[in-house]
Amino acid sequence: MSQSISTQEISRTHPAKTYNKNWQKVKAAIEGYLYLLPSLIILTIFVFIPIVTSFKLSLTRIAPFGNKTIDVGFGNYTRLFSDPDYLNSLKVSLLFTLSTVPTGLILAVTLAIALSYPLKRLSWFHRLLIFVPIVISSAVTGVLFKWIYHPVVGYLNYLLSLIGIQGPNWLSSKDWALISVAMAVVWRQLGFNVIIALAGIQNIDGTYYEAAKVDGANLWHRVRHITLPLLSPTLFFLFLINVINSLQTFGEINILTEGGPGGATNTMLYSIYYDAFVGTPFRGYASAQAYLLFILILIMSFLQFKGFGKKVHYQ
Amino acid sequence: MSASPLQTAKRKIHWGDVSLQLFLIGVGLLVAMPIFLAIFTSFKLPDDVTNYPPTLLPEVWTVENYITAWTSTPFWRFFANSLIQTGVIVFFQVFLSILAAYAFSVLEFPGRDLLFYVILASLMVPFQLTFIPNFLTISRWGKEVHEALGPNTYFALTIPFLASAFGIFLLRQFFLTIPKDLHDSAKIDGASNWRFLWQILVPLSKGSISAFGIFSFLSAWSQYLWPLVITDEETMRTIQIAVRFFLFDQERGADWGAVMASAVIALLPTLLIFLVAQRQLVKGIAMTGLKG
Repeated sequence: MSQSISTQEISRTHPAKTYNKNWQKVKAAIEGYLYLLPSLIILTIFVFIPIVTSFKLSLTRIAPFGNKTIDVGFGNYTRLFSDPDYLNSLKVSLLFTLSTVPTGLILAVTLAIALSYPLKRLSWFHRLLIFVPIVISSAVTGVLFKWIYHPVVGYLNYLLSLIGIQGPNWLSSKDWALISVAMAVVWRQLGFNVIIALAGIQNIDGTYYEAAKVDGANLWHRVRHITLPLLSPTLFFLFLINVINSLQTFGEINILTEGGPGGATNTMLYSIYYDAFVGTPFRGYASAQAYLLFILILIMSFLQFKGFGKKVHYQ
Repeated sequence: MSASPLQTAKRKIHWGDVSLQLFLIGVGLLVAMPIFLAIFTSFKLPDDVTNYPPTLLPEVWTVENYITAWTSTPFWRFFANSLIQTGVIVFFQVFLSILAAYAFSVLEFPGRDLLFYVILASLMVPFQLTFIPNFLTISRWGKEVHEALGPNTYFALTIPFLASAFGIFLLRQFFLTIPKDLHDSAKIDGASNWRFLWQILVPLSKGSISAFGIFSFLSAWSQYLWPLVITDEETMRTIQIAVRFFLFDQERGADWGAVMASAVIALLPTLLIFLVAQRQLVKGIAMTGLKG
């Protein structure tokens, strides 16, 4: 108390000290900004400004002759919705999400339940084998599965032949190409999904199961009435992040099918890449597509961030 | 205490344990099988690779496919490119994230929290939106400023990724758990902010920093879309792109032995990291819900 009075007195009587204090504050602020500056510069140039330039770009197209850029307003956007190729890519992305996300989540929860049991032996070994895809890149995943799907000497068709089924030519069949890519992506995502689901399951209070046992609940009842409801924040989080991942899939498609056959695996992102970088570049048109994809992903990540607090709360 | 819906009342015979063991070993081998197949195939004789019916193990083990992969393209160059690209990204992401996280947790200045939310918001902007403008920016710098800032350079491969909002967020959360008294008493002892950061805070945060370093390494090494569009000279391709060379060989068709050898070389560094740091990696993913 007496100290604060004396400081006040001093600052009243010695204006130089106040000046000094303010200067300290300015110095501290400058120092703080300097620490942030490198990150801020990079993020501004390569993340924040592109949000704007990408939008501007989406309102233009290149004139057929020469390098002149023409302003077309929302022309690219309106054109998208009458472009059968783009409508097809919307459909493909939807189908792709529908074939990766539920499969991935069901597999992840099943395996996480199996791994949650405290086995005395080998549990490190099971985890090692099931988690390992998390470190495999999308390009390598594409290559590994291209070999498995090989129409003549591939392991998948060989195994099918053992049970008397003649396997299709997975990657060049319009009916099977998308599912083939989806299986590769489910594989790459599996480790991540199981890790998150397992962490969620292990955070459930063991006394719930004790109580259920007293009531004579069987395994299915325990999973259905305890595990799944209490896991729902985790499942919601996994659902969103898997939808986002499926919309961002690129490497596997590029290596396995290049968007083919006949557009069967031409997702929204692959269509953006194709229009912007393969053959004659239509970067304005591609940017309009990128913006629509951005809005879609933005909605998902917004929901994810809103739910994130809940997830942390559960831990 | 860890909980599992599989836990049942006292059991005398552990048949449940036995069948669960068998189930998990079966599933585990199935999941890891694509990697085993690639490794085994890569060691087969080039002529045996496409034999039918396909065998699991090589009849004769040989490194011929590796020699083909290593010598018929500048493969060491792709590998070196990936190492340089990944090394630069990891170094800067870790270094710059430490600096920014420090500012956001320990230092005090006006506008700090607002700036933090701005950086956090950048996590919501997907690379799929920014890669076209970024490609145009780099191409323009290459033409208008200097070739060294243009496509087909290490600069172009790395510059958009040198800062990481994820890393800043992760390290800030950890720095916040360190008692403020520590900083105050260091200041009284006359230590500058800079010295406090490197001599006290960073050594205390080794675990978090190395966890982020691993994330950063994995995602940088695995990059595909950006290296694919920003390089078109063969000598600047990264290893992830290089796996395409034997796959899409126009003249001879795919050389599967060499394809698998190059895939194994491409996955080896991340696989080693996984084997060494599996626990840390899994803990990091479970804690943050993110892969970096």
